[in-house]
Amino acid sequence: MSLLVPGALGLASLALPLIGLYMLRSRRRRVTVPSVLLWERLDIPVSSAVPWQKLKMTPLLALQLGVLALFVLALARPFVLVPSLLGPHTVVIVDTSGSMAMSNRFADAVEQARFITRDVSEANQVSIVEAGPIPRVAAAFVTSTEEVERALDGLAVGGGAADLDAAVRLARGLATPDRPTNLVILSDGGNEELAAEPLVGADHLGFVARGDNLSVEALSVEAVGGVQRLFLSVANHTPIERTATVEVVVDGAVFDRLQVPVEATSSTARRLPLDAPPGAVISARLVGPADALPLDDQAWTVVPEGADRKVEVVGEGSPFLAGLVDAVPGFARADGDGDVLVVDRGPLPDLDRPAWVIRTETPPPGITVRAIARNLAVTYQRPGEPILDAVDLSDVAVGEAQVVDAPDWLPLVRSGDVPLILLGDVDGRRVVYTTFDLVHSNLPVQVAFPILGANLLEWLAGADAGPVSSLPAGTPIALPTVADAVPVVTDPAGVDHRLTPDAALYAATSQPGIYRVRYVRDDGTVEPGPVAVRNFDPVESRAGFRTIATTDGTLTGADTTAKVREWAPWVIALSLGLMAAEWWVGHQRPWRRRTKEAAA
Amino acid sequence: MLLDRTLRARIERLSFTARRRVRARWAGRHPSYRKGESLDFADYREYTPGDDYRRIDHALWARLGTPLVREFEAEEELPLDVVVDLTQSMTFGQKAHTARVLTGLVTYLALSGGDRVRLHALGGPDPAKWATGPGGRHLSAWPRLETWLETRPEGGTGLLEPPIRAFAAGPVRGSVVVVSDLLTDDWERALDGLAGTGGGVVLHVLSPAELSPDLAGDLELVDSETGRTVAVSMSEQAAETYRARVERFAVDAAARARRAGCDYVLVPAGPDAADATLAALAAAEVIA
Repeated sequence: MSLLVPGALGLASLALPLIGLYMLRSRRRRVTVPSVLLWERLDIPVSSAVPWQKLKMTPLLALQLGVLALFVLALARPFVLVPSLLGPHTVVIVDTSGSMAMSNRFADAVEQARFITRDVSEANQVSIVEAGPIPRVAAAFVTSTEEVERALDGLAVGGGAADLDAAVRLARGLATPDRPTNLVILSDGGNEELAAEPLVGADHLGFVARGDNLSVEALSVEAVGGVQRLFLSVANHTPIERTATVEVVVDGAVFDRLQVPVEATSSTARRLPLDAPPGAVISARLVGPADALPLDDQAWTVVPEGADRKVEVVGEGSPFLAGLVDAVPGFARADGDGDVLVVDRGPLPDLDRPAWVIRTETPPPGITVRAIARNLAVTYQRPGEPILDAVDLSDVAVGEAQVVDAPDWLPLVRSGDVPLILLGDVDGRRVVYTTFDLVHSNLPVQVAFPILGANLLEWLAGADAGPVSSLPAGTPIALPTVADAVPVVTDPAGVDHRLTPDAALYAATSQPGIYRVRYVRDDGTVEPGPVAVRNFDPVESRAGFRTIATTDGTLTGADTTAKVREWAPWVIALSLGLMAAEWWVGHQRPWRRRTKEAAA
Repeated sequence: MLLDRTLRARIERLSFTARRRVRARWAGRHPSYRKGESLDFADYREYTPGDDYRRIDHALWARLGTPLVREFEAEEELPLDVVVDLTQSMTFGQKAHTARVLTGLVTYLALSGGDRVRLHALGGPDPAKWATGPGGRHLSAWPRLETWLETRPEGGTGLLEPPIRAFAAGPVRGSVVVVSDLLTDDWERALDGLAGTGGGVVLHVLSPAELSPDLAGDLELVDSETGRTVAVSMSEQAAETYRARVERFAVDAAARARRAGCDYVLVPAGPDAADATLAALAAAEVIA
């Protein structure tokens, strides 16, 4: 046993005044008695007149010295070094990808995490990283098992693939110079090798449990030749041929139930004629006994809008704009009554539809032209803006642009203080205003132009007409910005998640299902937003196992894994027990009571 | 009310018995030193002029030739002096109240037996003086004596020997009842002085705290009457020594009382004192 604060032992000198108090004679108490006749000349030893007396060890004194000794010992913080699985700082990476839902892999992983972190303390801190599609730190530098438990309880396996590379980078980022950091990866290995293998100072604890698994690996709606069909693919991940029973449900009603034989380790596709209205929710699920991976037994899709949305181009127009509209899927040019209006220069028409207005003679309401600026380059793209996803405007040069005042408009792209593209609304309709003429810039010849144009048209077309994004679980949902409205996401469980007004993404999509977005304004009006389908990642359904190469782990090494176990709490508890005994002895005086009873 | 109705009913048929011949002024039912008119034959003596010739035993006169007259025992009342200690030392515990009750008990017994009773009380500024209360011979005097007993103040100091010496020196040789804790400097002389009286009873009243004190630590004990102090360091050994001292005190007091022709009863102060005293007096045949 060693002491963390040996200097505290000096407080043991307090025993001297304590003993001194016992050696001091107390002042005699005057007691009036009927007569001292019987007390006089009585052969009772009477204390002498000196103020001190011979020390007599009483049970009280012994107990008080014991309490003092224990308190001093507690202040000195005695400890022993015990072997521990934890180093000074251990980052536990828990894989929450879909494959971890196979059998009890995830439960085993969490159990392992609990076992590894059972000795967490101030000296052996733990961080926990959730390795899902978007890794996150679930707990950082925690020092108690309660915090670890809370973090582990907050983990849930999803339907997406784990980004182990990012998770490891995130874990490395938690390392601090003052604390050697170890990584423990609790994973079935992921689908691909990590960028940097072998991992240094890491341990990989693999989970290989697996069982029979059938999955619905694809579900979509096709419209070919004006005929709507449902495409369905069932995968068999077992080594024998299986026949899957698939139940197709359209808007809550069973549409069809079919038997799909699937050869071993392969998949079988089916196409079914379908007559479902746009926006109908279709799900396909395997019925029968549950397999080892229930999460991938169901898939969803939403029937998209059947016709292309019409875009009316007015103004001077340009071949770039015409080509853009033709190139964007889901949109087609129209001469009148388009869903979206594109105004290319010229006078500003009545904005009775969502509109992309390109440097008109008169800007839309709310925008005032102050001056003209020339020879501009893009210096600012609004970060996190979905409209600018995969749009790189850094090489765009603008010959001439309006310098405008638009306090209520959102500048999307700027050149210094000069806004180039603004988002806003006129009479409740979405409007994009471009302060420069496309032909006086090199934007139309940039790779980013069709992407930017498509994003702008989709944003203008709004959620009603927006496409249904069907992607693997865990893929974030891009949230178009709607002025003065708060996005609310309803997850597959029906729980609403109210986001901040400027939220650009919703990333908590690891659970397979349908996510619906709506925008709620202050006045209570609700505007529908995009619908996103997130299905179980088909690759995860294979539930393979891969060993992650690591260097020799240091977790189990005796050199760095000693844990300081302090005894102070136990010593304090013992001293409190002694204090209770001292109080009892001091106030109850059991031996006196027994003597009295015996005398009685 | 010192004695409740139930207790009085129990003791109305009891009375004191005199262990010695009494010397009193009035006829009563106790044997006297004098010859009298009772039915109990006592002796013969020669006839002297003036004797009642009806007492001449003619048969003896004829046989002996000398006129002899028959003498009979005289029966007189039992004068009873009851001394109750109401000094400061008796105010501890329930000693004073117990002493009043015991005094009342003895008084009522005497009155119910037709004996003459006079009450005396110790307690006052002068230890050599005592207060003499009313007397009585019949139960009709009980309310007066009870009132005096109840209203007698407590406190002060007092010595036992002066009244007892006075009783012994008086013309009437009656019994003396002492109700006291005997915690006076003259208790030994006082008990010895009882030998000069017609005997009696010593009711030694001590409180439970005096019999077994609940004291601890280093103490300075102060005498409630004299103010004298004694330093003691209480311990188990000291308490044991004190208890032995109290036992020796009681044994010594009992021996001195008996030597003086008196009965001795140690009465712990408390609500059961009257019953315990009655039982002890009956066992000693002091009352019958």
